[in-house]
Amino acid sequence: MEEQNNFGGVNPGEQPEPGAQPAPSVQPASAASPRGAALWLKIIAGLYALSLIAALAVINRADAVRKSKPKDLDLSKLTGIGQSKKDAVAVIPIYGAISQGNSSRSWERGSQQIAKRITALAGKKEVKAIVLDINSPGGTVGAVQEIYSAILKAKAETKKPFIARFGEVSASGGYYVAAACDQIIAQPGTITGSIGVIFSVGNFEGLMKKVGFRSEVIKSGKFKDIGSASREMTPEERKLLQAMIDDSYDQFVTAVSAGRKMPADQVKLLADGRIYTGRQGLEVKLVDSLGDLQDAIDKAGELGGLGKNPRVLTDSDPFENFLSLMDSKLSLFGAKSVFDSVSPAASLEYHWYGK
Amino acid sequence: MNTFVALETIINKPELLAGAERPEGLGRTGLLGYFSGTLGLFVFLRIFSAVPPGVMSFSMVLLLVLAANFFFASAIHLFMDLTGVKGSASRLFLAFGCSDYFLALLVPLAFFAKLHILNGFLWFCLCLLLIIYARVRLVRRLYPVSVNKALLSVWLPYAGFSVVFFAVCVYSLAWLIWLVI
Repeated sequence: MEEQNNFGGVNPGEQPEPGAQPAPSVQPASAASPRGAALWLKIIAGLYALSLIAALAVINRADAVRKSKPKDLDLSKLTGIGQSKKDAVAVIPIYGAISQGNSSRSWERGSQQIAKRITALAGKKEVKAIVLDINSPGGTVGAVQEIYSAILKAKAETKKPFIARFGEVSASGGYYVAAACDQIIAQPGTITGSIGVIFSVGNFEGLMKKVGFRSEVIKSGKFKDIGSASREMTPEERKLLQAMIDDSYDQFVTAVSAGRKMPADQVKLLADGRIYTGRQGLEVKLVDSLGDLQDAIDKAGELGGLGKNPRVLTDSDPFENFLSLMDSKLSLFGAKSVFDSVSPAASLEYHWYGK
Repeated sequence: MNTFVALETIINKPELLAGAERPEGLGRTGLLGYFSGTLGLFVFLRIFSAVPPGVMSFSMVLLLVLAANFFFASAIHLFMDLTGVKGSASRLFLAFGCSDYFLALLVPLAFFAKLHILNGFLWFCLCLLLIIYARVRLVRRLYPVSVNKALLSVWLPYAGFSVVFFAVCVYSLAWLIWLVI
């Protein structure tokens, strides 16, 4: 391959190939062509510069128009002229059985994460009221009380109103949590109530005898294996557990009595474990009014001084939701939750098992 | 050397690209090509509000274009090298920069698109085809290969990229379905 050092120059030593066109006929064309190309390039560059200027002017003008345009002409927004634009009502969902999470992962929906969310949202300046969107049959005593105490602390520190909204079910522990709120709004057909405590344990003694399995227990005290599924419960154990149940029941009644401002005796009449519909709950004053989530948000807006139809701040973080979804899918493809639900480990629960 | 002169020489004597020494002014011309091409692309995208305004936004697009072309040039050079064809990867990268001047056409074409004379995406595709055609011509100048091989080598990274993109899309869809069900 022939070397070319001068990019724009012509090699003087170049020899015409045999049979090529004579030099005089080629020379004028090759001399005219570069000048033509240069001219065209300059014209194109000029046009490019012009079109760039025009385009930038158009973009600037469009941006200016977009910026000057009023963002929202919705008249309902004018109702809260005095309030800050950011003020909102926070909605915290409490769905499913309430239990302490198995880890401190922020995307888990355990009681400690819910309590943290309540504290965090109550601490935000722009949040003027909080709605707890409850759809839960309750859960373990400790987990339910963790949420309950977080609500009480948040209320005491921030004086912000809390509204509980019941969906399909809000019974037992779900109601315990709601008792801490200032107002309870339920659907007419919501299943609520079930004020009480339950401790249940399976007895596999007969089955284990059949299959020839025997469990050997070495214990430090006679009650150390209380609630064991491998043997019959003793009367002493039953008495002890009943005392625990009664104490937890008393705590439940006290919580409802304090929250609903009802005498404990009156609460006890309603708290035999029975369930109520939302409308029945309204009659016996376990519920303040009937309505849906929007009604609860409106009520929270009114109590928070934002008026009806306030801005809603949901606590759901899309990233955390995504991680939660992944986590639930990756934990044995959902088998973990099935295992958890049939686990023979007994616990003291504010739980309604009707669902 | 003046950029206009360098560009004019590339147009008139493209065979000089394969010379023993790198043509004078090729580096500056190629990089300016990337800059003005990206500016054209950026303005085109801004007219359709597809990218945010600002110098940072433009810098990101420029960086993306440079990175993509660096990848394309290296992939093509690797392909050529593996098939026993020798050439210069740096010249290929700079020559691709010269082909990017065609992206400047997108600025007036955006106005046509806004006037509903063809769709903006179609104009963009036409411009892309023009660039690919120019690149095939340039690859043929830089490497002694046939038109078919040059065409294959230029399309190869695009095809590879498209295959990876669609594979990722299909996998993401399947994964999302698995997550939801």
